[in-house]
Amino acid sequence: MLILGVTLSYPGLCPAEDDLRGRPLYEVKDRPPAPDFRLEDTEGDFHRLSDYRGKVVILNFWATWCPPCRAEMPSMQRAWKHLKARGIEMLAVNVGEDEDIIFTFTADYPADYPLLLDREGQIIKEWPVLGLPTTFVIDRDGRIAYRAVGGRDWEDPLVVEPLLKLAK
Amino acid sequence: MEIAILDLTRACAMGASLFAASAVASPDTGTRENTGLKYWQWDEGGISVLIEQRLPDQTRAFFLARGFTSEAANVIGDGCVFKMDVRNPAATGSVIEYDLTQWQVIVDDEREPMMLKDQWDEKWRAMDLPSPPRIAFRWALLPIRQKLNPGDYNWGMSAFGFPAGARFDLEFTWLQNGERRSGTFRDLECAPDVESLETREAEL
Repeated sequence: MLILGVTLSYPGLCPAEDDLRGRPLYEVKDRPPAPDFRLEDTEGDFHRLSDYRGKVVILNFWATWCPPCRAEMPSMQRAWKHLKARGIEMLAVNVGEDEDIIFTFTADYPADYPLLLDREGQIIKEWPVLGLPTTFVIDRDGRIAYRAVGGRDWEDPLVVEPLLKLAK
Repeated sequence: MEIAILDLTRACAMGASLFAASAVASPDTGTRENTGLKYWQWDEGGISVLIEQRLPDQTRAFFLARGFTSEAANVIGDGCVFKMDVRNPAATGSVIEYDLTQWQVIVDDEREPMMLKDQWDEKWRAMDLPSPPRIAFRWALLPIRQKLNPGDYNWGMSAFGFPAGARFDLEFTWLQNGERRSGTFRDLECAPDVESLETREAEL
């Protein structure tokens, strides 16, 4: 337990939420179509991305061992409560881990939005993702509108305003 | 330690002397107070690069928890693993790109490319490591190449394959708005293993 405490407080290894502020979303040129997928979530339900057509979707690729992923998750959870009421969905695709690991993880990092399982890392290969976390914002027509490489503060106006504009 | 930054493209275009086109930066380098591990930090030319030691045991434990066998965990634990963090610190405008296949490791004036994911994956395949730990390994390493827009950053490990305590230089390049830049981290040191730490403690 002591070792875990030291590891989590290791400077630079675990970015604080403060470190995520002031980082905007990057607008993706020409809005390419979002690759479709069908994935099971930690509750055993299946989600097909194309079923969300008509809504703005925040699609986050992450892993429990990834420090910037952990840093941004609390703000994602807080933001999602507000954004959901504005017609914005949030899906988080875990890469290469199983339900047991994620279940344990969510005791410390609660997430009410769907946590999807890409157990073999097959879906992530279809997306332009080079590192974790990477997040895409998909517009109501199923096209990739924004991208964020690295963690973000999902309550930062720099991030929220483009989302709300997209959902109008 | 000194790190020289050189804007090669501009130097060639202007026909300027090497001296006139270069600037010398003083990077932040030191030892983390709470861990005793060394770090090297570069903040010039529109890019921020942090290289920080990881203890072999820290790396072994991380990969054992991701399904590595003891044998494979020892291989990577003994592989001179650093944490690397590459950032675009700009608020707007500047775009940076890096490509690890262009980075050069320098030992005794001999240059060689960095060991990257595919070379390590060959080792894991030869050791019959199953898919989940190999997936975790691939995603835990710093991406080989990346374009970083303002505010973007990426984090990951890099494993150089040297023994604990080994020293080397790392020449790195990146593009800032399409313009090639380079710098050198001098005298990077692989973290010591537990035995040498115990010896050091005993000496103290």
